[in-house]
Amino acid sequence: MDELAVVTGAGGGLGRALSVVLARQGVRVVGLGRSAGALEETAGLIGERFVAMPCDVADAAAVRAAFVEVDRIGAVTILVNNAAVHPRHDILDETAESFAATVDVNLGGTVACTVAALGRMVATGTGRIVNVGTFADVAPLPASAAYAVSKGAQRIFTRTLVADLHDRFPGIVVNDWMPGMLDTGMGVSDGIEPEVAAEWGAALALWRDASLTGTVWERDREVLSPRAVAERLRDRLTGRRRVARRITT
Amino acid sequence: MRELTDRHWDAVVIGTGMGGGVAGRALAEAGLSVLFVEKGRAGWRREANGTEAATDPVARGVRGLWPDPVTLRMGGREREVFAPLGMGVGGSSVFYAATLERPEPHDLDPSNAVPHPVGGWPVRYAAMAPWFDAAERMFAVRGGADPLSAVACPELGAAVVSDADRAMMAHLAGNGMHPYALHAALRDVAGCASCLGRKCPRPCKMDGRSAGVEPALATGRAAMLDRCDVTRLVMDGNRVAGIEAVRDGARVTLRAARVVLAAGALNSPLLLRRSACEGWADGVANRSGMVGRNLMFHLNETFAVWPKGAERGDGPSKAVGFRDLYAVDGRRMGMVQAMGIDAGRGEIAHYMGQRIAGTWAARLPGARRVVQAGAVLAHGAMGRAKLFVGLLEDMPDAGNRVFEDRGRPGRIVVEYRVADEAQVRRRMFRRAIRSAFAGRRMAFVNRGAEPNLGHPCGTVRMGDDPAVAPLDAGCRAHGIENLWCVDAGVFPTSMGVNPSLTIAANALRVVEGMRHG
Repeated sequence: MDELAVVTGAGGGLGRALSVVLARQGVRVVGLGRSAGALEETAGLIGERFVAMPCDVADAAAVRAAFVEVDRIGAVTILVNNAAVHPRHDILDETAESFAATVDVNLGGTVACTVAALGRMVATGTGRIVNVGTFADVAPLPASAAYAVSKGAQRIFTRTLVADLHDRFPGIVVNDWMPGMLDTGMGVSDGIEPEVAAEWGAALALWRDASLTGTVWERDREVLSPRAVAERLRDRLTGRRRVARRITT
Repeated sequence: MRELTDRHWDAVVIGTGMGGGVAGRALAEAGLSVLFVEKGRAGWRREANGTEAATDPVARGVRGLWPDPVTLRMGGREREVFAPLGMGVGGSSVFYAATLERPEPHDLDPSNAVPHPVGGWPVRYAAMAPWFDAAERMFAVRGGADPLSAVACPELGAAVVSDADRAMMAHLAGNGMHPYALHAALRDVAGCASCLGRKCPRPCKMDGRSAGVEPALATGRAAMLDRCDVTRLVMDGNRVAGIEAVRDGARVTLRAARVVLAAGALNSPLLLRRSACEGWADGVANRSGMVGRNLMFHLNETFAVWPKGAERGDGPSKAVGFRDLYAVDGRRMGMVQAMGIDAGRGEIAHYMGQRIAGTWAARLPGARRVVQAGAVLAHGAMGRAKLFVGLLEDMPDAGNRVFEDRGRPGRIVVEYRVADEAQVRRRMFRRAIRSAFAGRRMAFVNRGAEPNLGHPCGTVRMGDDPAVAPLDAGCRAHGIENLWCVDAGVFPTSMGVNPSLTIAANALRVVEGMRHG
């Protein structure tokens, strides 16, 4: 199958590394990002399998136009919603506008790209959407209100996609992937090398098993959803055990 | 859209299920211009959902399901139930199990051995036989010949029967039954996932969409107007002059030389009644007063069978059926067939819960938990069960009816009483089914009478006498020049088999009469 991936935030960090790994696996990659120059640097690392598509994912009209451009290249089969911003603002310094600007990228960008990609994927009933997420919503850090809220909402968005699509389009596989703390511009200097995480993310994006829909992955491991006591008891009685899967690269 | 709504069509087909899809295809292939009018959305061909959906009307609508529950008044109780009703291209048939079984001659013809409830259909089996053949060809039906049948199915393709089904058939044969491979409209294309109970995303399962609407559109003479809700037929004396509908909030009036009503046995009568006007005071085609009446379902006797040894197999049993109990002691029963569903822990718990519901045990504290724990243990001890169903024929009764809720436009109300004679036949049928499966652990899933809401029929029946039937033998409305009905509403009786093949065959017959009559 001819894979065509759209990777957002491809001008640096994890998005660039994901583009490199995907292209190395034979996937054509369209990279979205705000900076044409940064995208050109990514293109320089990859060559002709990468198409730079300058686009601010917070701008819904620009995203729509970008996907029309993507159509000229081919039918999108993979979407990696990676673009995100994490401005540090104390809540007392935040304005409603500054807060909304972060939400527009982290949640709005995911929504705009997903809706555009789905509009194409439903024609074949197949596709792969990986939402790059964090657990920032579980125990929010100080000075990260807009980030925690928008990334938490992005995880909810993944679940709503499952509710709307899983029975109708089991071949469109959607899940969350938490790459962990990365050594990128957005991350921490002692984090995981983005090149290492990108191996996992690319393998996950190329994995089409319908049972992946709705799952959450942290680094290279599946995070099993918590089970109620009765369910665990039933698992015991029936001898069923759930095993967390691993990504093999 | 204007080019569709402004045109004067040779035929407008209201509803795109089994009847409408097949009729529209036959009309288009005969060279007529055809407009399909569908209340639901066209949706996407690759959708694969079943009928298990949210209760939200929008969520149901996008999945091709009838958005609202049906109000079922039965046994002195009123409840709201989601019937397995489609609302989209292909109607309910996109969700069906593709079981296309022929009725017996005595389902249509008068019989001394098995007296017919209304003295026979106005069209005899011999006249229908070529249309059954044509429908079996059109739907690429495959299956085994029924060893008990005197009539041949010359168009039947060879069935693929699993080893497990073969073993189950051997057991039934040992009990004196004559099982055969069920007749199914699955083309078994590469990657066939046997989409029983859900939409088939490939051109594999043959239904009102894949065998009706799609080939019709491919002729270039047919078009589809989806999301179009027909509100009224406008009469001009003894002709339907126009079809009023609403699309995207705008009113449209469609015009056609011929109007083919195929909204289904629950909805076609509602449209006719709603179209009442001067000259048709009780509803269009309702001078008999029978529109919406004589509503029949099959009474499902669902049961679980725990297979032994080779009968277990890998997947669910889907190909086994037999007609040894079609009539018992001259009384009408029906077919017994595999449902293509394996029942695991959850289903067994559900069934066990049903068994205690309404008994003293249900009032014990913690009864549900005990049942669930019991089901887990039973599951561990006995493994998965295969579900089967006996389709018990239902008899016409003018008191059983469907009508529109006065206070809530468009909402379907069903008033249904299980006759005492049906309860007698149920007991006979269940006893006979138990004997047929002797030697295997089995248990009935339902206790009370369970009308199969997916098999409604009889509400716009055909008959030679205009005083008791809305339609004539050609399914044209008595007293109306250009209105035909082709869904299961036309059935005078419910027969002992699934209705789909007969809907398709009858639609082909009606179109032939329409063109030459």
